[in-house]
Amino acid sequence: MSKPEQAITAWSQLVIDSVAPLQAAVARPSVTMDDATRNDLNALFVANDRLVALLTSDAPHKQHDAMNIIGAIKGYAEMLLDESDGLHKALAKPLAAIVSATTTPANSIEPPDIGLKATTSVTTVQSRTGKHCEPGVILAVDDMAENRELVSRQLGKLGHTVITAESGEEALELLDTQGVDVVLLDLMMPGIGGAEVLTHMKENEHLRSIPVIMISGRQDMDQIVACIQAGADDYLLKPFNPVLLQARIAAGIERKRWLDREERYRDQLERSERFIRATFGRYLSDDIVNDILERPEGLELGGDLREVTIMMSDIRGFTTLSEHLPPQRVVQLLNRYLGRMTDIILDYRGTIDEFLGDAVLAVFGAPRSDKDDTERAVQCAIAMQRAMDEINTQNMADELPELRMAIALNTGTVVAGNIGSERRAKYGFVGHAMNVTSRIEDKAEPGSILISESTLEKLSGSYRVGDRQEISAKGLEENVVVYTIGEQH
Amino acid sequence: MADASAPTILLVEDNEINRDMLVRRLTRAGHHVICAGDGEEALAKMHAQMPALVLLDMNLPVKDGWTTCREARANEHIQHIKIIALTAHAMDTDREAALAMGCDDYATKPIDFPSLLGKIAECLPE
Repeated sequence: MSKPEQAITAWSQLVIDSVAPLQAAVARPSVTMDDATRNDLNALFVANDRLVALLTSDAPHKQHDAMNIIGAIKGYAEMLLDESDGLHKALAKPLAAIVSATTTPANSIEPPDIGLKATTSVTTVQSRTGKHCEPGVILAVDDMAENRELVSRQLGKLGHTVITAESGEEALELLDTQGVDVVLLDLMMPGIGGAEVLTHMKENEHLRSIPVIMISGRQDMDQIVACIQAGADDYLLKPFNPVLLQARIAAGIERKRWLDREERYRDQLERSERFIRATFGRYLSDDIVNDILERPEGLELGGDLREVTIMMSDIRGFTTLSEHLPPQRVVQLLNRYLGRMTDIILDYRGTIDEFLGDAVLAVFGAPRSDKDDTERAVQCAIAMQRAMDEINTQNMADELPELRMAIALNTGTVVAGNIGSERRAKYGFVGHAMNVTSRIEDKAEPGSILISESTLEKLSGSYRVGDRQEISAKGLEENVVVYTIGEQH
Repeated sequence: MADASAPTILLVEDNEINRDMLVRRLTRAGHHVICAGDGEEALAKMHAQMPALVLLDMNLPVKDGWTTCREARANEHIQHIKIIALTAHAMDTDREAALAMGCDDYATKPIDFPSLLGKIAECLPE
């Protein structure tokens, strides 16, 4: 069958379907009519019978005859609607449906050259049949105007919005600009054919998820198989059954909706992940960021009790130092120092909670805890002190003052978590152990590391540990036992 | 319903279902309609009855609409008769060809009846 013939055959089927409700209405005993009406109705039914007979025949001018008969059915339906006085109201609705089924846009467009020129028409028709199917935007791609018209009509009736393209080129242009739910794609078209359009779509990340239903003749089965392998979702053979078309479209729309939801969800996840990386990436080592990301509760406010080793460090006399330097030099000095310390702390998998001017607050054991948290904290502190030599060498070369840093470590239980409001929260720590660390740090000598007894108890490595000292400070109920610690020589 | 003084329209159409329908509609619209089923018959009736207008299906048996139109235009007795071509396909080429052949206007099937009535009115004398 040639393409126009397929289109006419399918259209004829649509017309025949539209006549059935009228026949049912006329057969109802309650529906009465005058002779003129009866004559016209009979003529319409005779024409319909001829159309049915024509569809199954091998008549030589089938297409031409079908157009004539469809024209006749349309004429009778219009005549009945226009000119019969007192037409029974039960007949009006089915007659209007017949007029609609038999009307092509050719008759409403002047000059009378249907959509054979490049036409992109958007048709939205509210569902008259009321069948259950989520309405969607369908792109119908076919080089035959009759086929486009037929599909628009059938799908428009169900409430879908139908966009049409008469070539592969036009289809790709439309796909770029229009939100499409399902593509009905004719396989054989001049220029860019259906298979090529499909390939383009599957190579484009924005179009990849749009379901594609291939349309072709029975003889093109090999190519249909190739298209399914290339990512087409379904296919229809011409001339297609309207019910089958509707079912495939409904399935396609459902698939598209599901994929859309999945994509939105993925987008949200990616946005959260970008946010977390942007928020924590500068302060946390990569594995801790990954750890937060892997836990779905990662960004919820609230926290948990954790035993952690807290590190506080600062540059002794920095405030005095900075008063004698121009601001740019202070920033240069601070960035060099804090940059190096950040690298070291992240290397030892510490969590940097805060920079306060020249002071650094870091925690080992949260958000992720390990057996060697305290060990790493001490080794980190030693590495930081060692790095000061390098920093000071550079400072001297740049005629910047020498820096002397004190570090305190204390191990204790804190609340770790996202603290703040919904609008502004940060991963932070609260607890008495934080205050104790701060007091210990006050007592630490420049260039030294002072640790509490609770930290020392956790250590298994060998270090150079100084004498036991007790310190008392404001805000501490009991004296705290501390030790200096350094590398074992 | 047809006015006795109304100008005669010759409808040339081989599909009797479509012909019957158009005759009924045109008659109800007040026109006087005669029919022919092929091109030979159409030319004969143009000579014998001198209709004011011919609605000529281009796809006809025996002698098609194109030939009929060309012969009518070549005959001095009937060349003044207005012709509206009717074709099943809304092809630009058909439209151009029909107008080039000497048709006065052109309508596509299935016929949009109000539009056809308008074209008929334009072709017929006041």
